[in-house]
Amino acid sequence: MNRYLAILLTFARACLVRDMTFRANFLLECVTSLGWMSMNLAFYLLVFTYTAEIGKGTGWSKEPFFAFVATGLIINSIVQAFFMPSAEELTEMVRTGGLDAVLVQPLDAQFLVSMHRIDFSSFANGAVGVGLLAWAVSRMDHAPPPVAWALYPLLIVCGVAILYGLVIMLAAATILMGRNQSLYDFWFYLTNFSRYPAEIYSGPWGGPLRMICTFVIPILLVVNVPARVIAQPFTGESWGGVAAAVIAAAASLVVSRIVFQRALARYRSASS
Amino acid sequence: MHNTDPNAAAAVADPVIEVEGLAKEYRVFDKPEGLAASVRALFHRTSRAVEAVKGVDLVVGRGEFVALLGPNGAGKTTLLKLLSGIITPTRGTARVLGHVPWERADDFRRRFALVMGQRNQLWWDLPAAESFRLHQEIYRIDPARFEKTRNALVDMLDVRRLILQPVRELSLGERMKLELVAALLHEPEVLFLDEPTIGLDVVAQHTIHEFLRDVQRRRRMTVVLTTHYMKDVAALCERVVVITRGDVLYDGSLAEIVDRFTTHKIVTLDFDEAPERALIERFGFPCEFRGPQVVLRIDRSRIADVLPEVLAAAGIRDVSVEDVPLEEIVAELFRSDTRAHAAAEAGS
Repeated sequence: MNRYLAILLTFARACLVRDMTFRANFLLECVTSLGWMSMNLAFYLLVFTYTAEIGKGTGWSKEPFFAFVATGLIINSIVQAFFMPSAEELTEMVRTGGLDAVLVQPLDAQFLVSMHRIDFSSFANGAVGVGLLAWAVSRMDHAPPPVAWALYPLLIVCGVAILYGLVIMLAAATILMGRNQSLYDFWFYLTNFSRYPAEIYSGPWGGPLRMICTFVIPILLVVNVPARVIAQPFTGESWGGVAAAVIAAAASLVVSRIVFQRALARYRSASS
Repeated sequence: MHNTDPNAAAAVADPVIEVEGLAKEYRVFDKPEGLAASVRALFHRTSRAVEAVKGVDLVVGRGEFVALLGPNGAGKTTLLKLLSGIITPTRGTARVLGHVPWERADDFRRRFALVMGQRNQLWWDLPAAESFRLHQEIYRIDPARFEKTRNALVDMLDVRRLILQPVRELSLGERMKLELVAALLHEPEVLFLDEPTIGLDVVAQHTIHEFLRDVQRRRRMTVVLTTHYMKDVAALCERVVVITRGDVLYDGSLAEIVDRFTTHKIVTLDFDEAPERALIERFGFPCEFRGPQVVLRIDRSRIADVLPEVLAAAGIRDVSVEDVPLEEIVAELFRSDTRAHAAAEAGS
């Protein structure tokens, strides 16, 4: 484990050196990312000038909702920083045969494929997310109890694990298909569902969608469970969500591991 | 197959690579021409099986330097990918250093290296020194040993000044030298080289030949090389395995391939001035006139008898007797196999 951590740090160091080599590009990525996030936050502020709550009686008033948004920013920034750049590069690696070099190295291929590139500019959003969370929580009517603070980091890890499992399954699809340029688009469409409180998925269309996004592809547990723990009153019912997130995270890691290993066994490599 | 492995005794004594009936079949989807056919192909695709490697048997002993030769698409690189565990075979068995390659055990992967001349394995935007450092972590190389090995390798290839320069700024030859350094840092017992000198100038080729020969001898490393350059083979390999259409056509020593598949020697005569054609043509051998130089192809069985007679011709300043170039022998081997295959197909 220490070895993998040491290698991850070496990757991080190399990526930082590379980012600093192309400083203008790095700064532009930070600015673009922060700009997109600011526009989203401005949009939500605009929404709250028309309504005091997202859905009547849901508890998602302005401050709790911004705690929700902050939780999403933190989780997404971790995924975007650690896993997405490598997953995006995988398409090209499979198409050109670059994956061959990964497979001959005495390391877990999944680790190498999913973590060899680290995007430091994505941490900018995470830092803003932490600030936004502190602001939102300090203005909420109720203070989160110690158990909520203790569970929150664990649930952030669970959310990241669920998304990581999805990234790995998309990567496995890339290996099987030989080319999967829509990987990032598909990821964006899928994770879109996780950006809003689960309560908005109700009615004849929303209900089934909520079931699918909770039990089939547990995308709704990613942000909702940690955000609910920190931004809503912590009750006995909250433990159900915690258990669901932990189980979904474990299942996501196990299933994605199996799928990835099977995909690697069917890897064809590109002609030289 | 034309020959069995003449190094079999050595190979069996300390076999490092053992391959039996190894085959790899790919399913290739046909891409129809035209818009309508392309749309139809969305719903119904036709495919066919392509056998890239067909039941190859091979044993390579420790310390051997073996060349895999064959035309494009013969299955050389596929065989290397199977032996390095990148792809899984359709059938057959293989053991490299006692491991089944496609099980990808870490202990196996720590003991071999693969260098592909057409692919870059170093970090593109960073100096090679950063890739070397990462390599040290991945292969768990002791820091003192790493420093020693890296310094020795960069000095042998005279690339010390390049290791702090971003890889993308280096020439192809410089990059390949650094790729070799990276591949050898963990002191692999087996080295797979896939066209390592492709696209390199003669100076870089020569440097790499010297380097590989030196390292291989010092470490008693087993090397399997695929190449289209006969200079690589002549400079480095004692054993040659010729592969065509996924099958082993010849497996034997380099000296034997020349002996078995050539019927003549090439005699080059340098005259003071261009000789009369009749003077040379009277010997009855194919000849080529290049001003004051004449190149004769003389039957090997008759060379001892004929050569004194040829040399007696007036005005000869210099003479050389050489084997047919390896390129020519191997090309003829490929051509004869193609002819045999076409004849077999016509007959069936």
